[in-house]
Amino acid sequence: MSLNFFRRVAFGLSPNDKKPDDPLAWALNQVNTVPDLLWPGSIPSEKETRKKYGEWVYGNRKVLRKKFKNDKDAYKKAKDELRIKTGERFFELNEHAIRHYQTKYSSQPVFERLWLFWGNHFAISEKDSLAEFSTGPYQREIIRPNMIKTFEDMVQAVTTSWCMIHHLDNSESVGPNSKRGLNSRDTINENHARELLELHTVSPSAGYTQEDVIQLAYIMTGWGHKWNNKELETGDIWFDQEKHQKGEKIVLGKAYKNDAKRELAKVIHDLATHPVCINFVSTKLCRHFITDEPTLEMINPVIDVWKESDGNLIEIHKEVLRQAFKYNDTTHKFHPPEVWLMQLSKIFDLNIPLSSDRMKYTFELKPNKRQRQLSWILREIGHSPYRAKQPNGWSDLEVDWVSPELLLRRLWFASIELPRLVQNVNYEHDFILQCLKNNFDEHEKMASLIHQFRFGTTDNDLGRKYGIICNLPGVLKV
Amino acid sequence: MNCTRRNFLIGGSTTLFFSGFFAKISSASMQKKNLIIISLRGGMDGLTAVPVIGDKRLKKLRNKLILENVLKLNSDFGLHPKLEIFHKLWQDNKAAFVHATNIPYTGRSHFDGQNLMETGAHIPYQEKTGWLGRGLMTSDIIGKGLAISLPMPLLLRGVPQNNNFFPSPDFVQTKLIDSIYNEFSGEHNELIKSTLDTIKQRPISMQIATDSDDRDKLAKEAAKQLKNPGGPRVAVFELDGFDTHAAQGGVDGSHADELEEVNNIVTTLHENLGNAFDNTLILTLTEFGRTIKQNGGYGTEHGYGSAILMAGGLLKKSQVYTDWPGLKKRDLFEGRDLNSTLDARAVYNSAMSICFNKDPDYLRREVFWGDDLPNLTEDLFKI
Repeated sequence: MSLNFFRRVAFGLSPNDKKPDDPLAWALNQVNTVPDLLWPGSIPSEKETRKKYGEWVYGNRKVLRKKFKNDKDAYKKAKDELRIKTGERFFELNEHAIRHYQTKYSSQPVFERLWLFWGNHFAISEKDSLAEFSTGPYQREIIRPNMIKTFEDMVQAVTTSWCMIHHLDNSESVGPNSKRGLNSRDTINENHARELLELHTVSPSAGYTQEDVIQLAYIMTGWGHKWNNKELETGDIWFDQEKHQKGEKIVLGKAYKNDAKRELAKVIHDLATHPVCINFVSTKLCRHFITDEPTLEMINPVIDVWKESDGNLIEIHKEVLRQAFKYNDTTHKFHPPEVWLMQLSKIFDLNIPLSSDRMKYTFELKPNKRQRQLSWILREIGHSPYRAKQPNGWSDLEVDWVSPELLLRRLWFASIELPRLVQNVNYEHDFILQCLKNNFDEHEKMASLIHQFRFGTTDNDLGRKYGIICNLPGVLKV
Repeated sequence: MNCTRRNFLIGGSTTLFFSGFFAKISSASMQKKNLIIISLRGGMDGLTAVPVIGDKRLKKLRNKLILENVLKLNSDFGLHPKLEIFHKLWQDNKAAFVHATNIPYTGRSHFDGQNLMETGAHIPYQEKTGWLGRGLMTSDIIGKGLAISLPMPLLLRGVPQNNNFFPSPDFVQTKLIDSIYNEFSGEHNELIKSTLDTIKQRPISMQIATDSDDRDKLAKEAAKQLKNPGGPRVAVFELDGFDTHAAQGGVDGSHADELEEVNNIVTTLHENLGNAFDNTLILTLTEFGRTIKQNGGYGTEHGYGSAILMAGGLLKKSQVYTDWPGLKKRDLFEGRDLNSTLDARAVYNSAMSICFNKDPDYLRREVFWGDDLPNLTEDLFKI
């Protein structure tokens, strides 16, 4: 078995890691429990950051916009001050640090890779101020604990989370025959219903119709934030009977009788256990860990385990890992920029993220350059994790990640930024050789490509070495 | 109000002129023609960019957003003073506007709207390719798209080997590529290898680090590439910030700042394209317009009908092309927005037809699923 299995299902081996004797057992043992978050700094709850989100929205929309309606420069200045006061410029940076720290130091790195997968499957794309305040906490509090439950549990939790409901506008959806609908002539917003079908569960191959989308949207009416004058759209999620569409609904041929808030759990049960859903998500898992074009031989065992275990994610994850192990030496998988960065950070023990002490924030000044560094790098290499452009999240296909500029950005990072992140004690050429040996079967070949620079330890020399090493096909891919 | 409804070629009559289409394009098709799209994200307010000056209702509904020193286009329409270059080109028949138009999307979500303005479809997130990418692909124009952004925009997806230009913060030693290039062997490395080829074949000017926040430098480089007879034929620029819910202002507000950015890009392209400007079309693209009425924050909300700003020597003449729906309450979309009387995709389809030398009806079928889009090639462009 080649060493790249440790990068295929995790982030490679750090200079301090001992190579596991039994790689498959090593991987399988990591998915039974939810590892604690290790970040020693601040880990605010979703509720706390949402409160700050509310302060930002209220202050901007209700106070500043009115106060400075004739003065755009003063408005801009006051807005910037409010950003600092509410942490609008800070929380995302802190979340990136929590996330990066976890993938680097967790004793269950395989679990962490799966965490990234599910956060992206149930993606919150760049909308309003979600990335600034809420997407990170959502991934920690909604995605993470459900990774040892069933897929259905995960869908239930995601679908009724504040973050997803806000992201997909379900609070604005009103049943036309509901009390509110009849009074206001408001109607449904199909957005969330459509994505629940298309992206989160059954996918278009289930052959649902526009009418199915509408009917599911009817079932979902009433689920939204509790609105008040102060919190605006950041109030907790509840079920508002006055917005709920009355009567029977039919989704994918199955009737759901009028049952208020209980309708949603019933339809999610049916969607999350639908054979096409099982097929769709199993394929996506195989695509993520094995190859862009997984075969039925890879996917079918995962589907079988899914069915036998009634969608138990622990069992499903294990089967995906077995298949990833089985096909490790015969398939290739391209890694998107964030995973690549996390792997380099671990393999070469780079000096990111910033220490939790230096990450401290007092809501008085703009976050400093070092505090912004990791997030800046992520943006520059084209993969700021909470800022996918669409609700279908970041692509898992090589073709979407290979543009001239995106490749140049990787060269830029490895040859110019990375040398500044190498710890002083690791400047010696032997250190690189040892790291390569830990992680790559073809380490001797790789070493030969940088042999001519072996005596150099300036940033420039390190830039040449890392610029080459980090952009080799066996590093961009497994 | 002396602004009357204007009629244009619609529906059935389009077939009448097809017979002559190929004959006309064949002589002009020798020259490389460029199509440049500037995406205006957030909802560009057509009534701020191209205000209707003959209708007092606009001033009444927007008493805090009044434009002074409007540049005059004709008796009915003016132009925002920040759009100077369009006014200058207008005198030479090299600027024109389509008004009261939008993609067929009446929801008011930026994300759905932006997705649809790029895919050209009816249902958000259903299509994974852009109308421009499909247009290039079906016209067999491969490897000629240039995006001025980091990832490949959805608009250009659907055709392989596009280039993009959005340089990193520092100079990258592309000679590093020589050290790794030969390592990319085997079929599974072909995509990266061919992309490395694209990088290696770039002109020196595209290898030099530029501040990617400096839109002027990016536009200069884009013009240089487009001017090259073997260079790209399509370029896509991205601008955002048109979502001005507050302090939108008139001549100097936040919407004016954004229009100034458009003006700057077009100015730079015009200056640097030289003669190639005569074989170029520049068109803007947005997800929707904005409400007619100002809101409590002296901004505007998400609306419907907007305008397309156009520049370039391939335009037929200076004109405001519109079937003007009027601003009376009953004429407005849902009683609040400028209506759309023309599917904006008809303009883009016709523009692709001109620039890619393809029958507009063929493109309409291949790119827009045969949707009922009037052929505007003869009305808007030189053929």
